[in-house]
Amino acid sequence: MSLLTNVMEHALDDGYADAARSRGQYGTSRMPGTLRGKLFLGGGLLLAALVLTVGAVQVRASAPVAAQERQELIARVGTAQANADQVQQEIDKDRAQLKRLQQQAKADGAGDGGSTAQLQQLQLVTGVGAAYGPGIRLVLDDAVSAGTDGGDNPRTAAGFSDTGRVRDRDVQLVVNALWQSGAEGVAINGQRLTALSAIRAAGDAILVDNHPLVLPYTVDAIGGSGMESGFQQNVDGGVYLEQLKADYAIRYSISSEDRVDLPAAARSGLQYATPSGRGGATP
Amino acid sequence: MIAVLGLVIGVVVGLVVQPGIPAGLVPYLPIAIVAALDAVFGGIRAMLDGIFDDKVFVVSFLSNVVVAGLIVFLGDQLGVGSQLSTGVVVVLGIRIFSNAAAIRRHVFRA
Repeated sequence: MSLLTNVMEHALDDGYADAARSRGQYGTSRMPGTLRGKLFLGGGLLLAALVLTVGAVQVRASAPVAAQERQELIARVGTAQANADQVQQEIDKDRAQLKRLQQQAKADGAGDGGSTAQLQQLQLVTGVGAAYGPGIRLVLDDAVSAGTDGGDNPRTAAGFSDTGRVRDRDVQLVVNALWQSGAEGVAINGQRLTALSAIRAAGDAILVDNHPLVLPYTVDAIGGSGMESGFQQNVDGGVYLEQLKADYAIRYSISSEDRVDLPAAARSGLQYATPSGRGGATP
Repeated sequence: MIAVLGLVIGVVVGLVVQPGIPAGLVPYLPIAIVAALDAVFGGIRAMLDGIFDDKVFVVSFLSNVVVAGLIVFLGDQLGVGSQLSTGVVVVLGIRIFSNAAAIRRHVFRA
């Protein structure tokens, strides 16, 4: 408290009292009498007024700019959201139409059993259709020490200092290792992967086909009995995960499942690619 | 007369020239303003107390601005810039308030 008391009691510079006392004018020196003193006072007031005015001008100049930028950002977000909603509606409509057409085609070709079976087979391979089978379940999670969102001070966090976090690259390598080990279908957190799927990062979040994933990351894969041992020995699979666990305390577990259910991929249909002719390999 | 002239010229120069503050100095501008206000209120109070001294006024004004800026700069280098500027604002704020109170006692006798 003595600090605060000191500040309160010595609010005025002691220099004033000392200077007045040394001139022997304590209590009577109100305004400087000499021209030099007046110039000093005028110059000091000029500086003070200059600093105040510049500060006020600065604040007034920067405030509208910030507000304007904020408004523009809000408008852009709103537009993007409206666009996304519209596209989603179109997708839903197209999907419903596709389903109807498929059922119609199925009904039309009821006599031709071969094409329906072929369609199902194709859907299985491409991931467009839901599938089940024996496989493994891999659960990936951040290290216990990894901070939660918003806990980091953005001024001090150096971006990639948070090494206990599972990165998009880790998920990519693990999924590639699963394919190499003979997986016939893979889904992450219920997102089926197709030949067109993308696994990427936005900030600290991992996106699969632009859908953000929530911890823990559950990777389901359908595959034969050799897949698990193949994955465990794969450099990008079990070996890599073991390394992550040893170095960064990232948690993971692999379990063998009798039945793994994979949903159908959300994406269906190609917009631009067309078949270039007959004679392609049939699955 | 000269004092009033200096005040007016300062405001006019600030408004007309609108000097661009270097980006590196922008964080220190608010602190400089508070320090300047402290010096001005101190000067007014000294005047009313009858102990005003022009040299002390100018020197205290300049040194307050520079020291406040240096403290905040040092704090920024150490990563505690916002805390230290809070400290500077608190100390200078208390001084401004008690000087303003002293001025009020002089002017209104209350």
